[in-house]
Amino acid sequence: MIGVYDFCGHYEWTFEWLEKNGGEKMLREYWDEAIHRDSQKHASELILKKGFEGMKEYWGHTLAHEGAGYTTAATDKVFRIDIQDCPSKGFLLRNHLEQHSDYCDHCIGWIGPMLKRGGFTIDHQHNHCGQCWWEMKATTESAAASAPGELAKGNDVRLGANWNAPEQIIDSYIRSVISSTRK
Amino acid sequence: MNDPLPYKDTKPVGAADFYFAINATFRFIQNKFGMEGLQRYWTDLGTQYFAPVSQSWKDKGLDGIATYWKAFFAAEPKAEVDVITKQDSVVLEIKTCPAIKHLRENQREIVGCFCQHCYFVSEAAASPAGFTVRIEGGNGSCRQTFLRQTANVPPQDFSLIKEAR
Repeated sequence: MIGVYDFCGHYEWTFEWLEKNGGEKMLREYWDEAIHRDSQKHASELILKKGFEGMKEYWGHTLAHEGAGYTTAATDKVFRIDIQDCPSKGFLLRNHLEQHSDYCDHCIGWIGPMLKRGGFTIDHQHNHCGQCWWEMKATTESAAASAPGELAKGNDVRLGANWNAPEQIIDSYIRSVISSTRK
Repeated sequence: MNDPLPYKDTKPVGAADFYFAINATFRFIQNKFGMEGLQRYWTDLGTQYFAPVSQSWKDKGLDGIATYWKAFFAAEPKAEVDVITKQDSVVLEIKTCPAIKHLRENQREIVGCFCQHCYFVSEAAASPAGFTVRIEGGNGSCRQTFLRQTANVPPQDFSLIKEAR
C-alpha cells in the first residue's frame, strides 16, 4: 500500500514519472485534472462559492492540518498567504528527495487554474527552500502585488534572512503567468 | 536503514485528505495510459521510490517486513491492522483500510482497481528482496501475505482482489 504519511515523497516522484512518460504538458494536465478538479474539488467548491472567505476557510484548515508555518493577511481586495515553512517541501528537503526539477510548481499548477475559474488571478514567488508568498485578487483588479512588508508586515517572507540567500533562485509569477524561473 | 520507515515526517500520522490525491492520481494515469500503464506506474513506484524498503527487507527478512508494516500502519490515519509474524510468512490482517474508509466517508468515487495497487507496489518492492505477496479481499478489508519466493506459491489470482467502490 502507498500511504499518506510520506505522501509528498511519492507525489513528487510521480511528477517525474509523468513528465518522463507523457511530457511536461501531461504533468500540467495532471495538476489541473487530477489535483484541481478531482482530489481538491472540495477546495474549488468552497472557493468558487465563497470567494475570499472560502480561501480563508480552505487554507486555514489545510495549512494548519499539514503543520505549516504560515500567516495570512487580507484586505477587501486581496488575500495573501506567507509560508515560512512549507511542510511538504520541508519533508522532501529533510529526506533528500528530489526526482522532479521543481516540486514547488505543483501548487500554482492546480491553484492557478482553480482560481482562474473563480475569476481570480495570482501573484506568487517561491524560493525552492520551503518559503513562498501568494496574493490572490479578482482578475478585474489591476494593482500590482504589495511591496515587501506592505500587507503582511513583519510576517512577509520576503523580509526574512533566508528568502534570497546566495545560490537560491526565486521563481516569480505575475497575474498567474511565470515571469522568471530557475529552469 | 535502522528506522523501519525510509522517509520520516515531523508529524506522527499523515493527513487523510491526501488519499483523495492518491485515488485521483490512479484515475488520471488509468485514463491516460490504460490499465497496463497504471500497473507499470505501480511497479516503477515499488521498484524505485520504495527501493530503500526493498533493501531493508532483503537485509532483515521477514522481521524487517513485519517491522515495516507495523510502523507504516501506525502512521496511517485510522488504520486497523494486525501484523502477524509466522515462521515462513508475514500476514497483514487489514481490518480497516484507512484509504477506502476516508474516501468512502467523503463520498469520493473510488477507482475500481484501487486495491490492486497493493499487489503491484508490494510485489515490486518484495521481489528484489526474495519475497512475494499474495492478496485476498479488498474494498475496505483484506489479507496480505508476504512469503519467500522459494515457497513457490501459485501466481496472484486477481479475481481474489475485490473491486473498490
